[in-house]
Amino acid sequence: MKMNKAPAEFINDRDIMFAVASNIISITILFLPRYVANNTIAADGWLTILLGGVIALILGWFLAKIASAFPNQSFLSFASYLVSKPVAIILCMAFILQYVVISSFQIREIATLSHEYLFDRTPIEVVCLAFLLVVVYAASGSRAAIFRLNIMFFPFVVGGLVLLIFFPLGAVKLENLLPVFETDLKGIVLGTTSSLHAFLGFSIVLFYISLIKKPQQATKMTVLGILWPFFFYIIIFIVCIGVFGNETTNNLYYPVFELSKKVSNPGNFIERFDSILFIIWTIIVFTTSLIAFDIAVLLLTLIFKNTKKMTIIFILSPIIFLLAMLPTNYIEINKIIKYMAYTEITFIIFVILLLGTMLLIKGVKTNDQI
Amino acid sequence: MSRSSNEPIHLEKNLEMNVETIKKTLGNSADLIVRKSSIGMIENQFAMMYLKGLVDDDQVNNNILRILELNKKDITTNLLDAVYDEMIALTEIKKSPELDSIIKALLNGDTAVLLSDENQAILLGTSGGEFRSIEEPQSESVIRGSRSGFVENLKFNLALLRRELKNPNLRIDFMEIGKHSNQKMAICYIEGHAKPEIVDEVVRRLKTVDIDFSPDSGFVEQWIEDSNLSPFPQILDTERPDRVAYNLLRGKIGIIVEGSPFALLMPITIGDSLKTIEDYNQRWMISTMLRLLRFVSFYMTLFLPALYVALVSYHPELIPTQLLFTIAASREGVPFPSLIEALIIALFYEILQEAGTRLPRKIGQTIGIVGGIVIGEIAVQAGIVTPLMVIAISLTAIAAFTLPNYSLAIGLRVMRFGAIFAATILGLYGIILVFIMIHIHLANLKSIGIPYSAPFAPNYLGDLKNVIIRAPITTLTKQQTQPFLEPAEEVEKTNGGSGTS
Repeated sequence: MKMNKAPAEFINDRDIMFAVASNIISITILFLPRYVANNTIAADGWLTILLGGVIALILGWFLAKIASAFPNQSFLSFASYLVSKPVAIILCMAFILQYVVISSFQIREIATLSHEYLFDRTPIEVVCLAFLLVVVYAASGSRAAIFRLNIMFFPFVVGGLVLLIFFPLGAVKLENLLPVFETDLKGIVLGTTSSLHAFLGFSIVLFYISLIKKPQQATKMTVLGILWPFFFYIIIFIVCIGVFGNETTNNLYYPVFELSKKVSNPGNFIERFDSILFIIWTIIVFTTSLIAFDIAVLLLTLIFKNTKKMTIIFILSPIIFLLAMLPTNYIEINKIIKYMAYTEITFIIFVILLLGTMLLIKGVKTNDQI
Repeated sequence: MSRSSNEPIHLEKNLEMNVETIKKTLGNSADLIVRKSSIGMIENQFAMMYLKGLVDDDQVNNNILRILELNKKDITTNLLDAVYDEMIALTEIKKSPELDSIIKALLNGDTAVLLSDENQAILLGTSGGEFRSIEEPQSESVIRGSRSGFVENLKFNLALLRRELKNPNLRIDFMEIGKHSNQKMAICYIEGHAKPEIVDEVVRRLKTVDIDFSPDSGFVEQWIEDSNLSPFPQILDTERPDRVAYNLLRGKIGIIVEGSPFALLMPITIGDSLKTIEDYNQRWMISTMLRLLRFVSFYMTLFLPALYVALVSYHPELIPTQLLFTIAASREGVPFPSLIEALIIALFYEILQEAGTRLPRKIGQTIGIVGGIVIGEIAVQAGIVTPLMVIAISLTAIAAFTLPNYSLAIGLRVMRFGAIFAATILGLYGIILVFIMIHIHLANLKSIGIPYSAPFAPNYLGDLKNVIIRAPITTLTKQQTQPFLEPAEEVEKTNGGSGTS
């Protein structure tokens, strides 16, 4: 039986932290060490992840400040106030495009991963489709439920990552981590770019802070949310280099996944530990691609006010599926990742500068004035 | 109810006519007893009516009939008032001129006294008769804890609850359900502990209930639950008064339906279905272990057979090598794929379980022996299934019984088939997707508007110490009400004593 008058569902400040953290921790973590090791010497990459993380923290702080200046206002409404409606719609469209690409990219990557390690006979399309259907099922529920889902999965994610870090610790060789601080400036800049890309998931605060009733702590929670992956990324990178050394990491497609294969769990209870961690990876990818999907839906419902949510979902999902099927091989996927990294970073910095300056010029307007 | 569209019928000033009207309404039923006699010095006629078997005979004879008959005094005041106020030695007494309410009272086991030249009937609460005595709850037995369970009688049940909770703020509101059965239903909550909005919502939903008869509270539960497509029970049923009392203090609302020994508790979360009241009676470390065990059982019930199917048919490389050899050897003679094997055994088990519940107790033992042999040995020897599959399925069955709520356990047993099919199609990956889907469903599910996945999500760290683990009792007493059920501060202050609904 339905509620008589279902109250509008709000989320808490703290939910933002979980959402940000689980959105940032995505499939990117699996190949991040490869990109970083590519440009750096030995374990110097941690420095670039640190730099990338700090930049992400600053950007995230700005973004959350901008969004929480307009409590209970959707992105479209405060963006139209700041930069006029047509520009706001163009921004929305760009974000929709970006999130659709992210969502389909994540789905494709998990299919690649399972194809690589779990079953090579099942066609990749079936794997993708099954995953997409689950994402659609989640997206068709309420938005607050998506946040609850993030919170429910968060212990699994953190627990899995902690296991991933602890089990291979015995295989770490100190000589792999040496020498230190040998990387040149160019390598550091390139490495930082790759790392920063891995942190970009915080951009969701721009759209989700409007769901918080009183976003007093939203900024703090965003920063905390970025800190979780920040620590995990650095530690996982160091462990990864420590186990494999820079050269090997550089040449493994999913170095972090290989890491879980290195594990010899006590008593060999399960022959392959990586399959346990595969559960965690699926969940990690699921939350990221779900949030990306949901933001695309959210923005589309803002632009096309009279269209039903389900219609939008049903239009979006085939598009995402086709996009996910588009690249034919690893090389293409790699190229796409590179393009995505540069465009996303440029775009988010552009948005922060644009909205930030306009906010400084125009000041805040409350909900009633608009 | 059938006359509800017309004007309510009132009694006349004529005794004979009134008796006839009531008799006619009840169709001259054989169990309707009418006793006529006279009262007072001037011999005022009166008639006493009741339904045999529904009343307490002692009370009717000693406290009503004898007093009225033996009274030969001169009554100077109004006869009705004299009888009503002075003579009858019963505590429950009412007056009513309406035929409908008199009939309803008679059907409830009350006695109606009609006086000559009066258009009102006196209704006396004499309901009694034979009832099942209070016994140990069958579906929720405990080793350490109270032995009393609810019975079919609403009065007894409410008394049991009052005995547990001697709190003046305990509110009990009556409602009626069942077009034909006219059963009473009690809505219990504690003022200041329960959220008024939730109480209102429950009452609103109960008002929409439109059924002829509710043999058990399960009818009410299914009518008012949030989602009838969910395998998870969104309303908790319990036979234990102590569990109801504890949960009322936690801010929940209880519903007790006449004729049902199962009380309903709402709103609940997934954690509530995994708790037993015995957790609080044992020392905290033991209870904590048991709670963790139940979480393990929860996932085991859902995924163990599926996991076996996935491992055997998709990922044999994940099984330790020696075990793999054993499995391969035992699967040698089995003609079916592991899906069919799992389905056969699961079906066997479900049939046995159903037969075990329905059969008379004396034959039940036979079923146990036959089932044990058929499933355990012969099926394996005959080469239909592998021993490991038998282990997987029977472990699931046993794991399901560690869950303290039967409604939850049978829901999980249904979902387990879904997991088996997913494992057949997509192996481990399929199981993970089912795992995610179940959590999506849990996140979307609500119980009377409260997220079912609380206190995990929305996250209330403080309450988790009473869900995942059972922290020492000294740390649990500080906060009684669950955080998501806590009423707003002002409401509690301004509305402290008076009822809301």
